[in-house]
Amino acid sequence: MGTQYASAVAVVRTMENSLFTQSDLERLINARDRKESETLINSKNAGTLPEVWEMLRTFAPDSKELEIILYRNDFHNLKAVLKAMVSGREPDSYIIQPSNIKNDTLKEAFRTKDMDVLPDYIRETATQAYELITTTLDGQLMDSLIDTACMKAMQESAEKSGNDFMRKYVNLITVCADIKTAYRCSKMNKNRDFLEISICGSPELDKESIIRATLGGTENLLSFLGNTIYAELSGLLKENPAEFEKRCDDMLIELAETSRLQAFGIEPLISYYIAKEAEIKNIRIISVCRECGADKVTITERLRKLYV
Amino acid sequence: MNSMGLALAILGASISALLAGIGSAKGVGLVGEAAAGVVSVDPDKFSKVLVLQLLPGTQGLYGLLTAILMLSRIGVIGGNAVELSTAQGLMFLGASLPIAIVGLFSGIAQGRSAAAGVGITARKPEHNGKAIIMAAMVETYAILALLVSILLIYNIAI
Repeated sequence: MGTQYASAVAVVRTMENSLFTQSDLERLINARDRKESETLINSKNAGTLPEVWEMLRTFAPDSKELEIILYRNDFHNLKAVLKAMVSGREPDSYIIQPSNIKNDTLKEAFRTKDMDVLPDYIRETATQAYELITTTLDGQLMDSLIDTACMKAMQESAEKSGNDFMRKYVNLITVCADIKTAYRCSKMNKNRDFLEISICGSPELDKESIIRATLGGTENLLSFLGNTIYAELSGLLKENPAEFEKRCDDMLIELAETSRLQAFGIEPLISYYIAKEAEIKNIRIISVCRECGADKVTITERLRKLYV
Repeated sequence: MNSMGLALAILGASISALLAGIGSAKGVGLVGEAAAGVVSVDPDKFSKVLVLQLLPGTQGLYGLLTAILMLSRIGVIGGNAVELSTAQGLMFLGASLPIAIVGLFSGIAQGRSAAAGVGITARKPEHNGKAIIMAAMVETYAILALLVSILLIYNIAI
């Protein structure tokens, strides 16, 4: 058994102590004003995601698994740059960090029409998306194309890495994305051509089956999902889509928790990143809900599961 | 003079120090890596993780002790090396093997265990003692091997 990343795992274990706990979030919900909220957040010494990423990358510069968790940001940035280019705007304010591909590299690729500067996993998609948006100006179709390509790239890289944790991580993300897309498409009566582009498919939820179920209507889709291992998600989707989103995020945290027993390996590092994402999402939920005047019960219901 | 016997006995002394030392070096190095990670974020935990780092170092000491006892028994320390037959030399070589082999593997295993214990100290410093106890359990087998090696060294007729 390997002993890789012993030092990084120890750092991460120490840093887990400064993640927000349930009582920290309750204090944040009960804060009197924005200033008190800011003081609470600053007192936890909560680093930003790019800072956390930099730290993880320093410890595991050669890890391919770590790269995979940023694919979604890379593909989002691809959409942002293409849309900004078509609408004649600067993409900088739509770019998400951290990402594997530098903002300037993405812009340069489209400015010079040279996609070779992009990594393998995104190159072909960038070419296809560029052709699609410049010929059809259909932003929705381009979004679907890029989102599906992102999932496929993640699946391929996870498979190549041979890491079971990464396979489960990617599978979970793909399943949640496919269910959400299929549900929306069934509501909007989208045709097979659109579904072929928008649904990725995974070992547990095969692409063709989801497409057939979606074409049969929303009730048919929910009934199909009800007979899979994701029946719980299907039920939540029917009752309350917000609960569905929360459950998807909670399932990711539950997966991250499986690496809490590991003293070595890349998994604890990835789990810490997932935990940090969930923490930031929770802080955002509290801030937005408070701005909107939501009551404490509603805010608490919407909070994602905590890693600590 | 049959120098083969003496050569085999000296080889045994070397092997005990060498393999047990490698085990300890690997173990201490691994825990050191993990400990450095913790100290880089929380320097106050230095003393707690240092105890864990020291644990896999004992195998190297056992190897050294075995080598010294063996060299002393055959008179190399002191400058009056005794004459040994090939069979006696092989016996000394055999006597070195328990601590050499167990020292190598237990040093590495204890290093893994102590490095995992560093994770406990990082998350829950108040449970540091439990991490030490768990890593120390591995020590039992190194001590047993040392005991066998010493018994053998002192019971070989020369």
